Amino acid sequence: MQGGVSASAVFELRNVAYTVPVREGQRDILRGVDFALGAGEILAIVGPSGTGKTSLIRIIAGLVAQSSGEVLFRGRPVAGPPEGVAVVFQDYANALLQWRTVAANIALGIERRLDRAACARQVERCLALVGLERHAGDYPWQLSGGMQQRVQIARALALEPAVLLMDEPFASLDAMTKASLQDEMLRLRGETGASFVFITHDIEEAIYLGDRVAVLRGRPGTIAETHGVGLGAVRDQVASRAAPEFLELRQRLHGAIGAHA
Amino acid sequence: MTGRQWASGVGGLLVCLAVWQVLVGSGLIEYDLLPSPWTIAAGLSTLVVEPAFAVELGHTLAATLLGWLVAVLAGTGLGALLGTSPRARRYCLASIEVLRPLPAVAFVPVALLLFGFSLQMELLVIVAPALWPALVNTMEGFAGVPQRLTDVAATFHLSAGTRLWRVYLPAAAPAVLVGMRLSLSLALVMAVVAEMVGNPEGLGYALVREQQALHPDLMFGYVLVIGVAGMVLNGLLLLASRFALPGLFRRPVARWDSA
Ligand SMILES: Nc1ncnc2c1ncn2[C@@H]1O[C@H](COP(=O)(O)OP(=O)(O)O)[C@@H](O)[C@H]1O
Ligand SMILES: [Mg+2]
Repeated sequence: MQGGVSASAVFELRNVAYTVPVREGQRDILRGVDFALGAGEILAIVGPSGTGKTSLIRIIAGLVAQSSGEVLFRGRPVAGPPEGVAVVFQDYANALLQWRTVAANIALGIERRLDRAACARQVERCLALVGLERHAGDYPWQLSGGMQQRVQIARALALEPAVLLMDEPFASLDAMTKASLQDEMLRLRGETGASFVFITHDIEEAIYLGDRVAVLRGRPGTIAETHGVGLGAVRDQVASRAAPEFLELRQRLHGAIGAHA
Repeated sequence: MTGRQWASGVGGLLVCLAVWQVLVGSGLIEYDLLPSPWTIAAGLSTLVVEPAFAVELGHTLAATLLGWLVAVLAGTGLGALLGTSPRARRYCLASIEVLRPLPAVAFVPVALLLFGFSLQMELLVIVAPALWPALVNTMEGFAGVPQRLTDVAATFHLSAGTRLWRVYLPAAAPAVLVGMRLSLSLALVMAVVAEMVGNPEGLGYALVREQQALHPDLMFGYVLVIGVAGMVLNGLLLLASRFALPGLFRRPVARWDSA
């Protein structure tokens, strides 16, 4: 079983710890983090703020090195951001190039790889995916927060990544935009077979999107428990959220997080 | 500034000039060598049509811009290096903190000794102090690029050149521009100082010459010309930066909350 997961795992973390220097010495942010992300899987990681979710995403993305333990991408240790992995950050206003138009932001990762026409087609396609066709020429600061986050998502999708690492991507969106982007993400997974690490502090969102839900908890943060989501691959905003499996898991996760937060 | 602020500002200035004119013109205050605004204006109008004036103005502007250009190229280059490399900062910051507080005019005797009464002397007097605002502001601008942007550059596998020119430099641009503007006004001041005491050319030398020839109206005229030159240079730089970076100047404070 262990071997089976490892062989098909896209990412695998083994006993990862993360410590940062602070004035009084060291602060443990993560400890003993273990999990594997299967190909085509959506692993939702849910946890209250301050438990090290953003730190964890930056470690997986190869942006910062763990203090101990192993981070493997397709079986190889991660040393720097791996090819084919895109990241959507929580703080879109910093992550976008505010001096570039929406279209130029989306082209950031592909403008040097594709010729001009192919790049323009890809930008147009990704604009349509997030419903921003009419804002190609706007600057990010001219858009609402939710629209800016959609720009960041489109920019990641333009890379056609095999893995998407998303750090509370929908946290600042209104309920309707959030629901439509959630469904868009599920559809995309179905079409492309991409794998996702989806970080959120919203338990219902974690269940709705996840094939599995892991709970990150404590200080230092660690993965306390992981649950399979028995909802099947096809989800529906109304029916899935009313299903007994959904409600039961929601209750368990509330208990798991609330009791220890 | 709004149109209303402009109107109020100009109004205040006119009142001051009127008071000055009345005080001097009516003989209420009597200094032989304090001309009235009207006399200065008359002197200025004869001055600016002289061919020699164009040469003087041209010299000072050329020296200012040349010195500024050298200071900005060196200052932003070094500033970018120091801002992006904590290791370079560690080695250089102490030297910078020692050199930077040296008063700008202290370079005058040094430059005179090295180059005599020459253009090189003037350029040294301009470049040495004008370097610092460009360097320090650029360094702070680059060091202050949000970690999220360096994260983005890394995960998108941008080349070193793309990172520098398309991500870090635009992100640091507001600070770099502040440094460039401070350098420019300092460069003009130092050019005039160098011409007053060292290189006998340009507006600074003309200012001293008219003072010694007891032409206070012309002397004040030169003061005015130098002031206007500073304003125009600053305005042109602002205009150029707005043109070069259209997205930069209407950017509001980053917002996180609004959906
Ligand atoms: N470089 C750092 N230096 C000091 N503290 C840090 C650093 N990075 C993260 N932290 C701290 O670690 C904790 C977890 O941060 P973060 O990963 O952003 O959590 P989350 O995304 O779950 O809110 C926070 O208390 C934060 O202040
Ligand atoms: Mg976070």
